Amino acid sequence: MNEKAGVKSERNEMEFFHKKAHFWGRFTLWAVIITTMLPPMYLSFILGYHPGWDVILTAFIGVTAFIGIMWVLEPISYFPSLGISGTYMSFLVGNISNMCLPCSAAAQNAIDADPGTKKAELAATLGIAAASLVHIIVLVPVVLGGSYIVSILPPSIQTAFQFVLPAIFGGVTAQFAMKRPIYGVIGIAFGVFITLLAIPSFIKVVLCVVGTITMAYLLEKYKNVKKAEEGKIFLDKY
Amino acid sequence: MIHIDKILPIANSLAMWGFSVLVISVVVFQAFIFIHLVCKQAPSSGMSRTEINRALRTGVISALGPSLGIIIVAVSLITVIGAPLTLMRIGIIGSAAYELTAAGIGAKAYGVELGKDGFNLQAFTTAVWTMCIGGLGWLLSAALFTKSLGKIQGKIQAQNSKIMALISTAAMMGAFGYFTAGQIVAGFNETVVVLISGITMMALMIAAEKWKLAWLKEWALGITLVVGMSIGYLTTI
Repeated sequence: MNEKAGVKSERNEMEFFHKKAHFWGRFTLWAVIITTMLPPMYLSFILGYHPGWDVILTAFIGVTAFIGIMWVLEPISYFPSLGISGTYMSFLVGNISNMCLPCSAAAQNAIDADPGTKKAELAATLGIAAASLVHIIVLVPVVLGGSYIVSILPPSIQTAFQFVLPAIFGGVTAQFAMKRPIYGVIGIAFGVFITLLAIPSFIKVVLCVVGTITMAYLLEKYKNVKKAEEGKIFLDKY
Repeated sequence: MIHIDKILPIANSLAMWGFSVLVISVVVFQAFIFIHLVCKQAPSSGMSRTEINRALRTGVISALGPSLGIIIVAVSLITVIGAPLTLMRIGIIGSAAYELTAAGIGAKAYGVELGKDGFNLQAFTTAVWTMCIGGLGWLLSAALFTKSLGKIQGKIQAQNSKIMALISTAAMMGAFGYFTAGQIVAGFNETVVVLISGITMMALMIAAEKWKLAWLKEWALGITLVVGMSIGYLTTI
């Protein structure tokens, strides 16, 4: 009886957090949606360089064909890993796969939070928020003095940075897989299999995520069945 | 090069900087608001001040690698669309590959190639429209769908919270498994870096557990990045 009440109040607490997350998440997203359209409108109508709506329509069709499906697939694929606040932040600041997801995972691991718990969601939010700020703070001087910075960067550093992606993915996958090694193996195996398949690339992430979830679910079911069987054998003995 | 003389003064104008700063301010504001929300929620969810700081520090350290890695790519984007727009686009989408492709599609729609002959201010405007509309896709999607996704998650959690934890873990592993596989398939050097990074990370985490070094857990990804990237550089010698 007490447990039920405890669980219920747990959900209510996070409900408040989630409500606020939805509100501010959507508020900030819509703010950027509006402000991001200001430069093109300024160029077109205030400065008068409008190329014509037909041209823009052509361009729109082109870019939709190129990337449109990701607009729908990515939120669905990443939401289970990011959570509510994580999704709002990651889709605002971008760099989801190479920055937001790794920082979210690393933050959760740093405080030993189990995935799916409230602490995990809070840690993930903090990790991504911190990443967002760092990203902007690094970006501003780069944009202001970029060419100078590049000119003084030794080529060895430039080469090293080409390996950011394998380093970060190897690291985060290992960090996460340590908790559930079998999931790690499934994830990578699936990943390699799907990467090598000759299917359109935009489906691949979704397939891999769905595939891993399905296998994990089946694995859990199999384990439960085995446990029940063993329990039954134990009971039968006595 | 003709286009640089005509386009960059406009691209780098004060108005563009104004818009850019406006957009970036929202991003910064959002980060602060969410940090504030977490700090308010933390006590009732059993999260201590120490843990909050730890999560934040880990986020900062882990973000340095990817953020710094963008430098070279951002600089190349600046030469095409100017500094303020680069700040805005990298700040909210972060993929120079997407931006350049989208800008190219815009230029093509106008009938010219990006940065080549005939790339005038109208073509530039088209490129900007294309980049921004394309970027809108993700923003709108997240703005419209997240609430429903949250509801679905809530329902699953209410039914069986273990399933939700399983889905979260498996989803993360699926996503990272795919990204990692992409790197492995990309080449031998990349595979070496993936392996070394994985081993480094595991060693660091085991050490952190064994000797109770909480700070090591924050720095683990950062250290792994440095080690991994250095090994990567060594493989190219």
